[in-house]
Amino acid sequence: MISGMIITFISGVAFADTIKVSVNGLVCAFCATGIEKTFKKQSAVDQVNVDLDNRLVTINTKPNQKLDDATITKLINDAGYQITGISRVK
Amino acid sequence: MQENDETGHTISADYTITPNFAVGWYDKWEENGRLYSEHGPEFNSLIKRWNLPDGQANIFNSTGAGVAIDGSKNKGAAWTDFLADYETRRVFTSYEIRAMYADSIESSIWQRARIGYAPYAANYNDVATWFMLQVDDHPNKNDKFVVTPLVRFFYKTSLIEAGYSSNNRLMFNWELQF
Repeated sequence: MISGMIITFISGVAFADTIKVSVNGLVCAFCATGIEKTFKKQSAVDQVNVDLDNRLVTINTKPNQKLDDATITKLINDAGYQITGISRVK
Repeated sequence: MQENDETGHTISADYTITPNFAVGWYDKWEENGRLYSEHGPEFNSLIKRWNLPDGQANIFNSTGAGVAIDGSKNKGAAWTDFLADYETRRVFTSYEIRAMYADSIESSIWQRARIGYAPYAANYNDVATWFMLQVDDHPNKNDKFVVTPLVRFFYKTSLIEAGYSSNNRLMFNWELQF
């Protein structure tokens, strides 16, 4: 019965992704703001954080929303920067 | 953006159409020499960017055309400006060359170089501080070679710069991005 409850609970949970994107060329707040604005326009995105120290853009998606690597790469490239890696945390 | 320096007073507003291209309006009231002004639309483009692990290098162009006004005299005017920069979070360098043509009012080429140093690497939510040295070479001005030490602060999308030039003029520039 407990395992059944766990399965029911898990199937009802809305999963969001945390996506960590390493980016070359991030040197200042102007760069960071441009990237933040770009991702906040995406309907799947809940939060965006730019960490200049680690050249890292962290994107949290909304529950059950996806943002694929190709879209992320295009958005970063179109904003004028270059991706060096993408990793995901559930 | 507004710039007040030893060359005069500039105000411009730009709308970014793509990350590589913006259009805007440019007004400048020249000082330190012939007193005249120039006004017109300007097109700004990012020609090339190099994204590096710890920095960024860019080449920009601004080109505009409009009218130059000297008292009661109005002449067609055109200008183009190339700016190359390299910056990390602690070091900044730039070189800019500008050509201006306004018939009998002005025909000149002007150069500007900057070097800068940030005492700390500001993160996104910090106020960034830069100490910079600007060198101007503008043969058509009264003071042809001018050095301006300045301090730059910026926070997110707001930037201000203040300095004092070797020809005893205050500099105060500001820029806001929306």
